[in-house]
Amino acid sequence: MTFPGEKRSFLGQVIDEVFDGLYGYAMVLSRDRTDAEDLVQETCMRAVKAIESLEPGSNAKSWLFTILRNIWLNQVRQRRAAPKIVELDVDESTLGMAVESSKDPHALYVSKVERDQVREAIQQLPDEFREIIVLREYEELSYQEIATLLDCPAGTVMSRLGRARSKLRSLLSSTLGLTDRRAKGVLE
Amino acid sequence: MSYCGERGTDILLFLENALTGQRLEDFHAHSAGCSNCRERLQEELALTSLLRETRPLYLAPQALRDRVAAAASAQQAFANSPPSDRSRETRMEKLTRWLRDVTPPVFGWKPLVAMMLVLTLSLVFIPGAVQMVRANNFVEAATEIHQSYLDGNLPLQCRSRSPEVVTDWFAGKTPFHFQLPIPQSVPESKALYWLTGAGLVSYKGNTAALVAYETPTEKISLLVASSKSVAVAGGEELRSAGLTFHYRSGANFEVITWTNHGLAYALVASVTGSPQHSCLVCHQNMANQNLVKH
Repeated sequence: MTFPGEKRSFLGQVIDEVFDGLYGYAMVLSRDRTDAEDLVQETCMRAVKAIESLEPGSNAKSWLFTILRNIWLNQVRQRRAAPKIVELDVDESTLGMAVESSKDPHALYVSKVERDQVREAIQQLPDEFREIIVLREYEELSYQEIATLLDCPAGTVMSRLGRARSKLRSLLSSTLGLTDRRAKGVLE
Repeated sequence: MSYCGERGTDILLFLENALTGQRLEDFHAHSAGCSNCRERLQEELALTSLLRETRPLYLAPQALRDRVAAAASAQQAFANSPPSDRSRETRMEKLTRWLRDVTPPVFGWKPLVAMMLVLTLSLVFIPGAVQMVRANNFVEAATEIHQSYLDGNLPLQCRSRSPEVVTDWFAGKTPFHFQLPIPQSVPESKALYWLTGAGLVSYKGNTAALVAYETPTEKISLLVASSKSVAVAGGEELRSAGLTFHYRSGANFEVITWTNHGLAYALVASVTGSPQHSCLVCHQNMANQNLVKH
C-alpha cells in the first residue's frame, strides 16, 4: 500500500507486511470474518490518522496490533449491553491454499487440512490463550511486546503461553501424531 | 515430576534459542537423564513445527486490502484538501443523524428530494449488497462530466421527462442493462424533481450512461458505469437500506457514489446549504419516506 509522505510511506510498508497478521489476529479475536475485516480497516485508518504521533524507532507492528486490540476491546464493551451470537466463519478453503502454491498438490492438501485443524483448535481456546498463541507463534512478537500489548508482566505472558500451548497440544493431539514423527526425525 | 514441571519455561526458551549459559547447560544435563522432559520437548517441537507450517493462519482477502488502500488514500487526500473542504468533515455525520431522526411532518420537501432520489435510484437500479472499491477517478470523472453538462458542453442526446422513453433510448447503447425507475405519478405542479434527459459518455474507454435531473433550483446528474471499470470507496460513509453510500464534498460539488450488481453510480449536485440536501435527488412521492426512516 502506498501512502504519500515519509511516515505514511513507512506505515504503508508495515501494513503491507503485517496485513495478514492483523487479519488473523482480528479473526482470532472476533471469530467473525466481517467483524475481522472491519477491525482491520478501522485499525489501518486510525493508524494513518495517528502516524505523526508514532515516535521514530517505535515498533510500528506492535503499535498496529495494539490499536486493533483496543478497538476490539471497545467494541466488546459496547456489545456487552446487547450480546450478539456470532458464528465461526472460517471456511476459506481457497485462501489457505493460495499461500503455498509452490507446493505439490498432496503437500498442499495436507497443509490445508492441517491449517484448518489448527484454526479450529485455536478457536476453541479461551480468549486469553487464543490471542497469545497468535501474537507469539504467528506474529513472533517478543514476550515484552506482548506484555505491553496485553498490559501484563512478561512472566505472565510466558506462563500463559505455556498453558496455551499445552491446551493446544491436547486439542491437536491427532494432528500432532504426524508432525511429532517429523519432529523426532529432526531431533535424531 | 514437579521439578520437570518447572522446566516448562526452559523448554519454551530452548525452542526459541533463548536459553543460554549455565541455564542451557543445566537444561541439557537434565534432559539427558529425564525421559519426561525429552518427551515433552519433542511434543513442543512438533507443535512448533505444526504452527510454523500453518503460517499465515489466515490470509486477508484482496478486497479488504483494496478497500483499506482506497480508504487510506481518500483520507490522505482529505487531509491535504483546503480547510474550506475539511470543514465539511462532519457533513455525513449530520446527514446520518438527520436520517435517524427524520419524521415526515417536521421536514420540508427539499431535504427529502435529495435523500429520496438517492434511495429510490439505488433501490430500483441496484438492489442488494454493495461492493466497495476505489473511486477517486470515478468521482473526478463524474464531476468533470457534470461541469461540462452545466457549461453546456455536453448536450443531452435524449431529452425527455419520461423514464420509459429514456430507458428505451439507452437500450443497446450501453454495455450493461440499465433501466430508470418509474416514480409514482405526481402532478407536475407538485414535482420536486424531474428527469430532463440522458446521454452517453466515455469512462475509461467504456460507454457510460449519464442521466440528468433538475429541481427548481439546480441540475443534478447521475453517472452510471459498469463496476468492472470503476472503483468506489472513500469519503464519508452512510449505510442505508443495505447499501453503502460514499459521500464526498468538494469546492463546488457534492458527490455520492455507490455500487451494486455490477454497476457503479455517481450522483453529482452543487454544494448547497444543508447537508441532507446533497443526498438528494429525488423521490417525489411521500410514500418513499419510509425508506429513509431509521
